[in-house]
Parts: sequence; structure tokens; C-alpha cells
Amino acid sequence: MTVTGYLADFSLPELFQLLEQGNKTGLLTICTLADTKTAERYNHHIWFSQGQIVAAGNTLDQRGLMGLIARRGWMGDNAVSRLAQTCQINTPLGLCLKNQGVLTAEQLKLLFYTQVMRQVCALFALPDGWFQFDPKAPTPRAEMTGLIATATDVTLAGLRALKDWAALDEKLPAPTSALVSVIEGKPNLRLNPNEWQVWEFTNGTMAVADVAKQLNLPVAKVQQIAFRLIVTGLAEEMPLMAAPPPSSLALDDAPELEPSIASGKTAGAAPVSASFLQNLVGFLKSKV
Amino acid sequence: MEIMRLVVTGPVGAGKSTFIRSVSEIEVVDTDRRATDEALLIKKRTTVAFDFGRLQFGPDMALHLYGTPGQSRFDFMWDILIQKAHAYILLVAAHRPHEFREARRIMMFMKQRSPVPMIIGLTHTDCPGAWDAANIALALGYPNPSRRPPVVTVNANETASVAQAVIALVQHTWSGSLAATS
Repeated sequence: MTVTGYLADFSLPELFQLLEQGNKTGLLTICTLADTKTAERYNHHIWFSQGQIVAAGNTLDQRGLMGLIARRGWMGDNAVSRLAQTCQINTPLGLCLKNQGVLTAEQLKLLFYTQVMRQVCALFALPDGWFQFDPKAPTPRAEMTGLIATATDVTLAGLRALKDWAALDEKLPAPTSALVSVIEGKPNLRLNPNEWQVWEFTNGTMAVADVAKQLNLPVAKVQQIAFRLIVTGLAEEMPLMAAPPPSSLALDDAPELEPSIASGKTAGAAPVSASFLQNLVGFLKSKV
Repeated sequence: MEIMRLVVTGPVGAGKSTFIRSVSEIEVVDTDRRATDEALLIKKRTTVAFDFGRLQFGPDMALHLYGTPGQSRFDFMWDILIQKAHAYILLVAAHRPHEFREARRIMMFMKQRSPVPMIIGLTHTDCPGAWDAANIALALGYPNPSRRPPVVTVNANETASVAQAVIALVQHTWSGSLAATS
């Protein structure tokens, strides 16, 4: 099913995480909102295959990669077009040109870096934008180098380079929350030293603000690192209890409330019998 | 009196109060109480608010429904409710993706405090821009369909729909308790 929304509601890092974890194949289109000065909008397209990024571009005319090759001066537009026609239908253009000895592996890497890493990483700075993921869009062989990047790697690179975090401010874990690891053992990702330091505190006990104090880092910086650990699937935000339980609750004017709740004591729930559950389901079914 | 306590939780506006109101046989009690700590009685008074509904279906059998407090901070009242609960339902408005992260936070808090069974109830699924269940489950951190809690669609305004969701929650709890004893 098509997924749509606004980046202000569901951010690009969250979206990438969803597409990767869901092993999605299709086309993600991001339409920037009209610029207040120029009233112009721009479309950005990112193609996914099995949750990994395979290509990116600003148009759907299947000429983006050819244009990049031509701009590098490695081949003329027409020459690439002619060679592209000789490629097998399922082979990515970049790989096809490499197989024909027209491009080297290094050149392909450079193309992929320009096409995907640089273009997509820049999108993390967008304050907002409308997005749509179309799982039925065809795979664009003419836009593909044959190289792939995991959404996690792109997210990590994009967020590390991000200067202005205002657009993601609401998404950051609260300074009062802790972090908890959601993986077995240590991360396989290449974390930087600060990320490793914060990772060491993913045991669900210490608030982000206290981690910052411990590491002598600004709270905002630790929040940003924590967000990176969250959207790359390494950790989860764990809200800590804001206040200790009081010794009693003033509930004298709510006689309907059962004493065990009103007392404020947290001793757990007494089990209910199978006949209770049977009767309850029977009773509820009469209301359906 | 045998009592089963279900907690209804979720981000603000997901339909918790409406859900309880739709199935409760008593006027839902919107408790707005002062939490008093005897030691700090003079200087510390905290207001807590949560919904309470009841369904009595036998002379000595009742279902109690508790909605978690509307405020965003996780205080002792959340803890009391979840510790006393037999199960809970997390309500998520399908058309508000900006609340999915908050729903995830709530779920993490609940999981940490208590291992009781839970299901996810999707509200507002007929609204424009609503996401489908599979993508919401992904957004809530459940990539593996076979390892996620049951997801039900619920119209919090309709008694029949809420009753159906409560049945799903009770049955999920029941199957969990059967598995635990076998």
C-alpha cells in the first residue's frame, strides 16, 4: 500500500528505517513545499529494492545517470544512450557499462556517491516536504549503477553531517528519557567515538541529560546521537518515571474506584479464572 | 468480587476516553485527583487525571477499564495503573503519523514496567491519510509480522467495535495464560 505524509510528521530518518525494516521495494518521492520566495517546488526520487537504496534522482525520465556520466566528461549523452540500448533489460546501466569496459569500478563508485549519498544526505536538512512511497513503481535500470547502500548507512551519514536539527527537534528523545539497546551484543555499524560513548549507556537506566553530564557533552548533542542510534535500529527511547509514587492518593470523592488502585500500591494484578474470561467474552459478544 | 483490569493507553487524541465511554456501563469517571505524599503534604500536591469505566457482568464479576493520564509525562499514576493491569490496549490514530513515535515511547514504558499482554488498536482508519496496519506496525517497531502483538481496527465511538477490541484483548490474554500454564 502507498504510504504518504509530511516529513514534519514522519521524518526522513524514520521513513528510511520503516522502508529498510519492511524490506520495501518501490519509489519514494519527496516533494519540497513551495519556497516562500520563489514559490518553486522540487521533486526528489529515491528507489528502494528490498529495503536498500539503489538509485536517486530529480526526474523520472530515466536520464539522470546518463546525464551524470556526461557531466563527468566520461562519455557523451548520445553515446551512453546508444550503449544503454545494448544492455540486457534487467541489468543496471552502470553495471552494464562496466561490463563493456566503458566505466571502471572506481568511476561507478564515484557516480553512486554523487547520485545517492550526496543527493539523499542533503534531504535530511529539509524542514518539511510531502512524501509518497509507491511500492508498484518499476525498478529504474537506467538510473542504477548496480551499487546499493543500506538506508541505515545513508541515514547515519546524513544525520552526522546535519548542521541544523530544528526540523527534527520534536523527534529527538527527551532529556529525561533513557536509552535501551534493542540488539544482541555490540553494533555492527561503524560508530564514531561519541556514538560509541553514548551506546555504552543503552541500559535503560540513565537519563539522556545525565549521560550528557557524564560525557561532558551538550545535552542537545547527546539527544542527536541518541536519535541516530534509534533510527538505525540500535536503541530505543525508554521514558523514565517522572516522579516517585506518593504514599497515598486523595481519592475519597471517587467511591467507584476500587481500593487497590486508590491506595496507589503497586503489588500486581491477581489472576482471573478461566470461567471469568469465558463469561466476559460471552457477555461482550452480546454487545457486538 | 473477581475483577479484571484493562488499561487503555495511547497518545493524546487517540480515542482513549471515547473507547472507555463506549463500553462502560457507568458514567465514566474522569478522576482529577490530588496525589498527596504525607511526608511532603504541604509543599507537594500533584494533579493526576485518568478515566475509569466499569462493566459488571455477574454478581461477583466485573471488568474495569482505566485510561492512562492525558499528560505526556510518565508519572507514578501510569505505574500504578500498569502494575495493576491484566492487559492493555495501545490506541494509535492511523491518520496521525506524527504520533507514532509517541506511541512507541508509551509502549516502551509499559513494556519496561510490566510484562502483561497487549494489543494495538488502530483508530481513525477511515480518515484521509490513514496508514495501513502493516506500515503502522513497522513504524511502531515491529518488522516481523509473526512477532508482533495482535493489531485490531477499532471505532472508539461504536460500542460493538470497542467490545470486539476488548474481546480480542481478553482472548489474547487468555491464550497467553493458557500458554503459560501448559
